[in-house]
Amino acid sequence: MSKAIKKTGKPAAKKEDKAVTIEGKKLQLTNLQKLYWEEEKITKGDVIDYYSKIYRYIIPYLKDRPQSMKRNPNGIKDEGFFQKDMRGEAPEWADTIELYSESANKHIDYFLCNNKASLIYMANLGCIEINPWNSRTKSLDNPDYIIMDIDPSEKNSFDDVIEVAKAVKTVLDKAGAAAFLKTSGASGMHVYVPLGAKYDYDHARAFAELVAHLTVELLPNLTTTERSLSKRPKNKLYVDYLQNRKGQTLASAYSLRPRPGATVSTPLEWKELKKGLHPSKFTIQTIFKRLDAKGDIFKPVLGKGVDMRKCLKNLGA
Amino acid sequence: MRSIWTGSICFGLVNIPVKLYSAVEASELNLDMLDKKDHSHIKFKRVNESTGKEVAWANIVKAYDLNGKYVILGEEDFAKASPEKTKNIDIFQFVKLQEIDSVYFETPYYLEPDKSGTRAYALLREALRKSGMAGLGNFVLRNREHLVILKAKDNAIILNTIRFEEEIRDASNLKLPAKTSAKPNEIKMALSLIENMTATFDIKAYKDNYTAELMKLIKAKARGKTVKQPVMKVVHRQSDDLMSQLKASLSKKQKKAS
Repeated sequence: MSKAIKKTGKPAAKKEDKAVTIEGKKLQLTNLQKLYWEEEKITKGDVIDYYSKIYRYIIPYLKDRPQSMKRNPNGIKDEGFFQKDMRGEAPEWADTIELYSESANKHIDYFLCNNKASLIYMANLGCIEINPWNSRTKSLDNPDYIIMDIDPSEKNSFDDVIEVAKAVKTVLDKAGAAAFLKTSGASGMHVYVPLGAKYDYDHARAFAELVAHLTVELLPNLTTTERSLSKRPKNKLYVDYLQNRKGQTLASAYSLRPRPGATVSTPLEWKELKKGLHPSKFTIQTIFKRLDAKGDIFKPVLGKGVDMRKCLKNLGA
Repeated sequence: MRSIWTGSICFGLVNIPVKLYSAVEASELNLDMLDKKDHSHIKFKRVNESTGKEVAWANIVKAYDLNGKYVILGEEDFAKASPEKTKNIDIFQFVKLQEIDSVYFETPYYLEPDKSGTRAYALLREALRKSGMAGLGNFVLRNREHLVILKAKDNAIILNTIRFEEEIRDASNLKLPAKTSAKPNEIKMALSLIENMTATFDIKAYKDNYTAELMKLIKAKARGKTVKQPVMKVVHRQSDDLMSQLKASLSKKQKKAS
């Protein structure tokens, strides 16, 4: 990439700033030397480089999906904040969609990450993590997939997470439903079931709830579907089916996470799910070698959806 | 940053093309409203007060209550009342910055020069800085006319919108003590206290702790620090109910589709 620093004459331009043109779209990258991971010495510039390189793999999972922007302009040392409304802020060349937000009680402009410049723009805003909707603008009420979120408590080991992921797979195998696995990039794992935007969120959630309960029946001592933290047993792993709501988001495949080690939410093959596997192995440093070898193994998630009625039949309904 | 307005600073024969950027952003947390019982999202509806029925956006009009009678206003009415759209920030005089009380200051914006205006911009900025003066003028942003001042800050010229006189409330209704009600030696004491506590103003020393504290609390709650022992429950195969409900709902859906 030839991105020479142009002398723009702007009084605000600093040494750490850089004007770039991506596919004809101009943007100003700022504070590139800022340390986002102090211990790992990873800068904001590294995050932008990462998204520039991962673009061709991540874009199918972002295109046409409203973004809940999680911004970490201070790197991983604080929680950052969510920004959904981009009214008056998004660049002219970027796509947005006006949607009614119940939480904000008004219409807001969601950002759509539909091209490379938009992804780099987000990274430049401090989006370490990318959180897209489960549905696309053409079918906002119908998610493309179900997500089973396996969310361990502090007392669970990653081997527990592996055991639960296997149980979820057992349930989905019995249902005859295709299932795809990725690390969350944090402490848990996500299992995706393709739906092909054939069902609305209510049906997706109901199916996910059923899978969650069947999983808990397989592993009653290890798992729970109890959402309320105060009622949830401390040592139990939460099988979260409530990610399947309109507007609910979690980190997409190939999203970096603002966590120690600069981990990446990484798709895995089911055969890789063995004791000793650990999500800390999948990071900004290791992902590309893996992609070179395996390619994007998550792609079927966006493909043909399962037939829920057949699945229910297989489960004995 | 994306500019929200483009135009020119105009005074005398000078014309400096500039872009306007917002200089501030909010630092509050985005909280959602949920039902206490099942954590469902709370939804808002615009309902007709008489019928209780929901009203679509397209069927909602704006109105002003004029002595008990509603005057309905359409988009064309708002357009008529709007000031003439110009692309200029017209400076009509320069004033001493200290003369403007903080009560008048509204929203700050950054001005960035267009390439062709860089030299004139720098010149105006240095002149404002050296003289301690601010340019007073007006411009039109989003159909509203704004009174503004321009002043130098670091390498930038800041445009600060200024409130009009009628936006400031009168303090004469408050019971405030007269100027001469303090004794001279008391004043002396108060002055020495101020002197002792005087330091250079450094905004970096102050953080919005509330948001940070709230976030800390949210994190602790999410980790389940206040978890109580669970109560034993009678086992019930919830999955059976779920399965039959989903099956019923799917067949309904199919009937509708066919």
